Amino acid sequence: MADNNPDAKVFPVDSRFQQLARRPGGIPRAQAIERAQAGIDDIKQTFGDWFDKELDGIVVALPHDEKGYAKTGVWLDVVLMHCRQLRDVGTTMGHELVTFIAGNFCEVLEAIKAGAEPNPELIQLHVEALRMSKQERYKSTTPADFPELSSGLHKLLSLAKAGSEPQGGS
Amino acid sequence: MPRREDGPVKDSNLNLNGLTFLVADPSAYFCTVIHGILRSFGASKVLETRDARGVVQNLTEHRIDILLLDANVPPMGGLKLTKTIRRNEASEYRTVPILILTSDTRATTVKNARDSGANMVVAKPLSPSSLYDRLAWIAFNPRNFIDCETYYGPDRRFKIEGYPGGVGRRKGDLPVEISEDTGPALSQDEIDNLLKFTRG
Repeated sequence: MADNNPDAKVFPVDSRFQQLARRPGGIPRAQAIERAQAGIDDIKQTFGDWFDKELDGIVVALPHDEKGYAKTGVWLDVVLMHCRQLRDVGTTMGHELVTFIAGNFCEVLEAIKAGAEPNPELIQLHVEALRMSKQERYKSTTPADFPELSSGLHKLLSLAKAGSEPQGGS
Repeated sequence: MPRREDGPVKDSNLNLNGLTFLVADPSAYFCTVIHGILRSFGASKVLETRDARGVVQNLTEHRIDILLLDANVPPMGGLKLTKTIRRNEASEYRTVPILILTSDTRATTVKNARDSGANMVVAKPLSPSSLYDRLAWIAFNPRNFIDCETYYGPDRRFKIEGYPGGVGRRKGDLPVEISEDTGPALSQDEIDNLLKFTRG
């Protein structure tokens, strides 16, 4: 590692952020976190509409027939982008299942990018699972509450990844 | 240089008044969430951008105190962007604190983030407490910077618990034992990743 290079220049850095953030005062940690959580709770009211738009973005981007499923192409990047966005905020918004399913879907899509053969049926299963996960009754549930769903999605992911391994995938 | 070693960062309050954050993430919704969180923490100003070009533009037009970069920020990604900022000898932002936001917490990704010169990696989806504690970690645990041919950024050995077999010392290192650092409560995966990395 370069840090172990005896000839490396080593110097202290105390940035403006560090200097100012350490000043006395500010909002106590517990209060800051409580306020942030209250803010998130307010934003949660918009999560449903936002989720629907993201899912629509996925559905619209997906090819209409099997011939359209190429290993590269705009559809893959667009679906992956929407999927990542769902994954990145699901748990924060109280929908851990959304993050789990979207995360699994992302890995499937990344496997396709790495060379795996796209499987339209497998992709559609993830879309349906996402649609289901947003329902109010699944809010505050975790993947552990649905072991069959979890293991099923993991198996689908393994199938998807198997096709990308010869190209140096995961 | 002040260094909080007498207790966990958890007990430290941050004073973010007067500080400007720049968040770069392709998702407008995520930016809304993190914007709200940072303002709740007391941040005076939170700027947002969706891509690397916006980062460069904001760094030119504003005084930015800390960067939060998504690992997938287009077009080149947050890691490459971090490296670009660190390697730019003419930039006044060469030593600005940089947090990488990522859902990919695999060891290789964390290792690559640290090799790029990032101060910290924050796992997505994030919680207010995880973000607060990592900001506090940066504020209360300033690290030396390393400048050599292949790397420019914070000292990556901050979790090291001693030198294996007497190797890895620098000319200027003092002959003292380094104790285990008391940092924020990282998840086990993150701790594992960091330890694997520093010992690699």
